[in-house]
Amino acid sequence: MNPLLNQFLSESRDFSQEIGAKLMQLEGAPDDQAIIDELFRLVHTLKGNSGLFTYPEMTRVLHAGEDLLGLVRNGQLAYSRELADRLLDGIDLVMAMCGDIESTGKIDVSRTQGSAQMVESLRDLLPPVPDLAGLGGAGISGSPATGAAMSQLNMPPLAEIPEATRMDAFRRSHDGETLSWIAYTPARECFYQGDDPFYLVRQVPGILWGSTQPSEPLPTLAELDTYSCILEFHLLTTAIPEELSEHFRYVPDQVNIVQVDPLWLVIPLGRIENGAAHHAFTAKMLGYLERNNLEGLRKYTTKSLKTTIAGSWQMSALSWLLVLLESHTDNPEALRLLIQSFDGAIAPDWTALNRVDAARAKASVTQIEADIKGGNESQTGEKHPPSDIPSADSEEQAFARDAILATQLQILQLVDHPAWETGRIRAVAAVLRNLWMSAGNGQASSEIEAALSASLAARASAPLLSWLEENKEGMAGHLPQPGATSLRDGNSSSRPVETATQVEHSGARPAGDEVVKFGRRAEDAVNGQRSVKVDQAKIDRLMNLIGELVVEKNALPYLAQRAESQYGVRELSREIKAQYSVINRIADEMQDAIMEVRMMPVSFVFQRFPRLVRDISRKLGKEVNLVLEGEQTEADKNIIESLADPLIHIVRNSLDHGLETPEVRRACGKPETGTLTIRAAQEADRVAIEIIDDGKGIDPMVIKRKAYENGLIDEAALERIGDQEAVNLIFAAGLSTAAVISDLSGRGVGMDVVRSAVEKMNGTVMVNSELGKGTTIRISLPLSMAVTQVMIVESNRQLFGVPLDHVIETVRVAKTAIQFIKQSMTAVLRGRVVPLKTINGLLGIPARAKTNADDEFAVLLVQVGGGVLGLVVDGFRETIDVIQKPLIGLLSGLSAYSGSALMGDGSVLMILNIRELV
Amino acid sequence: MPIEFIADQVIFRDVASVEEAEALLEQLQTSPRATVGLAACTHLHTANLQVLMAARPVIANWPENIELRAWLEGALKPVLGGSLDGNDDSRSR
Repeated sequence: MNPLLNQFLSESRDFSQEIGAKLMQLEGAPDDQAIIDELFRLVHTLKGNSGLFTYPEMTRVLHAGEDLLGLVRNGQLAYSRELADRLLDGIDLVMAMCGDIESTGKIDVSRTQGSAQMVESLRDLLPPVPDLAGLGGAGISGSPATGAAMSQLNMPPLAEIPEATRMDAFRRSHDGETLSWIAYTPARECFYQGDDPFYLVRQVPGILWGSTQPSEPLPTLAELDTYSCILEFHLLTTAIPEELSEHFRYVPDQVNIVQVDPLWLVIPLGRIENGAAHHAFTAKMLGYLERNNLEGLRKYTTKSLKTTIAGSWQMSALSWLLVLLESHTDNPEALRLLIQSFDGAIAPDWTALNRVDAARAKASVTQIEADIKGGNESQTGEKHPPSDIPSADSEEQAFARDAILATQLQILQLVDHPAWETGRIRAVAAVLRNLWMSAGNGQASSEIEAALSASLAARASAPLLSWLEENKEGMAGHLPQPGATSLRDGNSSSRPVETATQVEHSGARPAGDEVVKFGRRAEDAVNGQRSVKVDQAKIDRLMNLIGELVVEKNALPYLAQRAESQYGVRELSREIKAQYSVINRIADEMQDAIMEVRMMPVSFVFQRFPRLVRDISRKLGKEVNLVLEGEQTEADKNIIESLADPLIHIVRNSLDHGLETPEVRRACGKPETGTLTIRAAQEADRVAIEIIDDGKGIDPMVIKRKAYENGLIDEAALERIGDQEAVNLIFAAGLSTAAVISDLSGRGVGMDVVRSAVEKMNGTVMVNSELGKGTTIRISLPLSMAVTQVMIVESNRQLFGVPLDHVIETVRVAKTAIQFIKQSMTAVLRGRVVPLKTINGLLGIPARAKTNADDEFAVLLVQVGGGVLGLVVDGFRETIDVIQKPLIGLLSGLSAYSGSALMGDGSVLMILNIRELV
Repeated sequence: MPIEFIADQVIFRDVASVEEAEALLEQLQTSPRATVGLAACTHLHTANLQVLMAARPVIANWPENIELRAWLEGALKPVLGGSLDGNDDSRSR
């Protein structure tokens, strides 16, 4: 798995844990703005991170969460437990997705649906904002139940599909295939996101029909913007909505998927021919239908079809009737609607039929409502008893029966005596009869009959009422949950409403009305983590401890020496030395191991370059081929991390100023595509990173002139310095790259920033450039900043450490060879003039430098910046590895020293900061 | 090049990408009488399709790929609305 993804996964885990913790905290202090801010930041970051990868499901969930928290943060939405619950669920879902990615490399397809539902449930909490409404929901609507609620207005424009295709689709649907309508309106700017809507559409599974049309009138060619998508697509497919939502998962907000009821396809089209026979025609057909003589109807239709004019509306309608007769014999309502539509030659409103179906599903509710209104006239035997409620479980039935009983009771208890009272009583009796029948108690019907006739005779509801009062307990006995007490309760009428909503709900979610679980964390299998995240402070502490161990260990040779020289115990001395070598080996290995923990491959920094280079070169209109080498080279975490900024800066400079545009390159006889190589390699205990471009190089003359104009060099230097030195001037402070060639450089940060950043890490940076051929910038860094090699020098009986990175060589210079130029000492060494400084003078030690017996000074040649300097000291000592400790407290102000280190004998060695010193 | 401009002909080959659209538009603007050959085309980016729909050039030949042909005929033939199953839909109006 790619390391970036690995890091993302491990970070996501941390983030989600933190988000969970913050949500918990918020529960205790819902108004704590700091927590809300932090929470928002976490979700926002996580969302941003997820966007780096192609996990739209995850990003969408997080985006919804972010929107929600954004409102909470701005005080537009109050924190609630509900909100926390949903956010936690959302985070759990995200974690489950992370688990998928970890185990299989991608998000499980089944999550798409969950993600859409999650987004919806999060967006539910948003205050209604009109333009957000369309964004949130998944593009799937029209599961069978919601389809019922669809009005003719938002019916998909199926009429645009040719009739033959529609008939084919209709037959397929009858054979059990699902039909889906897709309206896909790509975002105008989708081309910029690399989308090809046409390609996406062509890949839709099971296409039966498709069309494309401009979503607005096409402009003239002169006004046409080729990069703005103005097409939209309509499709009819046999794919199931889940499959489609997976297919369109990147653009759920641009696509509308509707599951098509096959009847919707029945849209007769054509010229309307006026024929006098039409009405009789329709009546005759209805007659066949009433008698349920479908065979007769079919024959009559076939016969009529022969007499209609080709291309007419009637012909189309009759053809459809035949198709319907083939398959929909079980649905007389549909046939009736179609035949009735013949009269007006208007396509039947199939949504009306659906509404009837939906209404039937809610029969009990309708009945109750009708009863309450007292509209008993409509009550006939064809009323659907509650047992008709499809798939209602016994508990729901119990609720419904309770509700019905309560309503009947209420009706009977009414004390008004309207003219239709007898009808009302009859209706109640019918309802009760059906109710008892459905409970399997048939003999009650004769009792009800008797009570009814008594009531009718008395023109009062009392006899029926008393029968009901007596028997309702018995009825309740048939029910799992009697709820008898609620019958007398005056408020019981509120129950039916509850029932109604429950029925509706279970219908709207075919999956059942149990809450969809997204795999809560507690139930998740523990994901084995192979990496341990450790606070950097702990590693630092280990590092310090091993440093102390190394120092302590270095004391052993001293001890051995003393044992021998001072106490004359040779045996002991040898034993101590033997022990020392063992401890030395272990300590070395331990040090290596701890260093290794801190090691990271440079690919951590390199990874971002392909994208960066691509973006910048695109912006600049240049063709660049990026070559990365040695990505596996490792270095200390601190080094790698601080490398990022300078490298980005150099790369940006190379792209901006180094590489030329394709035209210029062609003119110079170079390949159009420039090459930018970033190479890392380990060289002994250092990492070398080279950024090589084959661009136009740096013109030393231009640099010199700029440096002179900026007052960085004087006139004499302008004449004197060589090309290489001139090129190195780009690192000088005050000579920003912006001034060098163009004004396109990034934010006025010059190469001097690169240099100081590299030098802060004890690194060096060099530039080599050949005009017209290219530029190479070379950064050399220590592998680790923890161990520094220093050379010990002595001056005025004090020891000082000089980082070996700076040391060029040690020489002896005869006192007579030193020349004084005004107050400055100089000497000619290896053919060049080197300025000399005494370390005593630099540190303010009131002592003169000592010479040896031959009257020679000890001179340490050091590299400072681009130049060479001779440090006059009293004598040289050995070089050692030390763990350098920064100066803290009162000493931190001493810039002459970069730090201190402990020596094996317990003394403190001050490390000189040469750069600051001179 | 996936789109070749030869005299008064625009010939599509294989897959025409989004980068081609600008040149296509330019060509159709400068020579409005150009005919378009699609026979060897297997796919064209939406941007190109859009340009063709706006320009409505004379189509010299249709793609050999039947499915693509159905799409393009639906989009580029004078009658609005297309049919993937190749049925002539004049009867439905």
